[in-house]
Amino acid sequence: MGSIDSLYDKVKRFVIEFTSGKGTSSAMTGYMTGELQTVAFIMILASFFRIFSVPLGIVLLAAVVGALFFFGPMIKAMERENSSGLNRVLFWVMIYFAVIIAVTLWG
Amino acid sequence: MNESISNLWSIPLFIIIPILAAILLNVLYSRKRAISVTAAVSSLALIVVSVLSPFGFHWFTGQPAVLPTGGYTYRADLLGWNLALEYYYGPLQQIAIFLASVLLLFVVLIAINSLKKNTGTYISLLFLTFMSAAIVIMVNDFYHLWIGVEIGSLIVAGVVLATGEAVSQKAALKYTFFSALSGAGLAIALALILGVTGYANISDAIIAMPLNDASLASVLYVAFGFTVLSWIYAGGLAPIHPLKADVYGSAFPHATILLQTQSKLMLVAIGLVILRLFGTLPFAKEVMLSVSVLTMMIGVVMAMLQTDFRWTLAYLIVSHSGLVTLGISLGTVQGIIGGLFQAVNDVVYMSVLLLACEGIYYFGRGTSIKTVSGIAKRAPWLAVAAIIGAFAASGVPPFNGFQSEIILIQASLNYGMPELAIVVLMVSVTTFIALFKGIYNIFLRPDDAPQAGEKQGMPVPRMLYVCLAALIFITILFGVYPQLAINFLNEAALKVVYIPWVP
Repeated sequence: MGSIDSLYDKVKRFVIEFTSGKGTSSAMTGYMTGELQTVAFIMILASFFRIFSVPLGIVLLAAVVGALFFFGPMIKAMERENSSGLNRVLFWVMIYFAVIIAVTLWG
Repeated sequence: MNESISNLWSIPLFIIIPILAAILLNVLYSRKRAISVTAAVSSLALIVVSVLSPFGFHWFTGQPAVLPTGGYTYRADLLGWNLALEYYYGPLQQIAIFLASVLLLFVVLIAINSLKKNTGTYISLLFLTFMSAAIVIMVNDFYHLWIGVEIGSLIVAGVVLATGEAVSQKAALKYTFFSALSGAGLAIALALILGVTGYANISDAIIAMPLNDASLASVLYVAFGFTVLSWIYAGGLAPIHPLKADVYGSAFPHATILLQTQSKLMLVAIGLVILRLFGTLPFAKEVMLSVSVLTMMIGVVMAMLQTDFRWTLAYLIVSHSGLVTLGISLGTVQGIIGGLFQAVNDVVYMSVLLLACEGIYYFGRGTSIKTVSGIAKRAPWLAVAAIIGAFAASGVPPFNGFQSEIILIQASLNYGMPELAIVVLMVSVTTFIALFKGIYNIFLRPDDAPQAGEKQGMPVPRMLYVCLAALIFITILFGVYPQLAINFLNEAALKVVYIPWVP
């Protein structure tokens, strides 16, 4: 009984983290669907690594599932990172550019 | 050599007509009747030229190509060094420029109806937006490619600034700031390619590309990185998408039609140049694919979070740019056809949705799903148009989005990447949810009791309905007869894959 209560509490806390309002608005629906989509997308991205090696894909997929349970909900962080502030966009452009050059040179 | 220079008569017209129209419209400034006639005649002229023009080349420097045997020729189908700054007008360019000029006509007519002041200056910017897109889609040399991208980004800032809101000014400033970075990046990339090949003409550079010279590999990779950066910037792919979404969301919805058309044409043009130049480099396609998948994912998820229909559309435009680049990045004939067809369809169905969004403005309560409701009762045809646009964007048959998305899914499966097919499906489903969240709230939710002193709005202009009807007709036409559009795209896809040096 105690474990069921605990799971319920965890789920409730997880859901409440999305919004401080009534929790039944259009915005809430958007956040919940967005979270599910993000989780699915990240798992698909992890599975891409099977191109290089199937065991690597499996390990990454398992790691991603674990990380999602630990770090969720992701959508708030994603919304924050999606800011159009120049500093943040510049930061991500630098990361992208570094990864593109590193991957192609390494390849 | 007895051949003569056969520069195509129509190619300069695609650049000169918009420039002359822009100058004249600026002079006319706010004389509405004269502006209406000039703008309508100029856009119609562009449509007529795009339809009547045969296919061919325009060489700016006019010298013949040097054959490997030492002879000379003006024939573009023979392998030779062209040495010229060059434009090409083929089937892909024809359908792209035709669609862009039709949209330009619609946008101009709606802008004249809706704007109260500075109409001439604003519409001249719209013509220049068209011109930059036409340059980039026709170009086959590095100088004009760079100029087209640079001019395009500055004009985008001008179009966004014209709305006069603080949020628009911020968006325009940020976008212009990044144009300095990405323009410089593209210039560096082109300088590096020029350095290792010695040619400004893209066809020549592809023939002379030292792909097997290990000592020059790092130079090529840096050039590739900078070109991809400018591709990301011009098309609004991740991670620059927040700036592009700001641009789409801050401009007038009718102006966003042209802005997104310009972005899609730039994505296609630069994407094909990257494939032709760097397609054989290891990991080049993988890098392009990852950028595409991330853009699709982030764009569509962010669209889910928006509570303003205008911003939902802004993020969906970003997300669907990823669909276009996904097809191109696959690098197969089927994938490229899917990407190009998606670009054509995307431009059309997003225009339907943006015009429906423009229509919502006339009710005087903005476009937020929190404040607007019950529009379907007052404007049922606007609701029908928005729902058709949403069906097309979500890939529901018999609309055009279905045909291009099914090609993309098949291309992904044939490429051996079922994950990509799943991502395309997820984007379609999420697009449906995001759009119908807005459409339900704005059009179908019963209207709240009107407050005392609340704005009653204005009737939606008949011109907007005419434009919507024409675009919906194209949406259904390409959905039922996809071959009508695909016939224009086959040649470009085959050339990129099998004979990349031919523009």
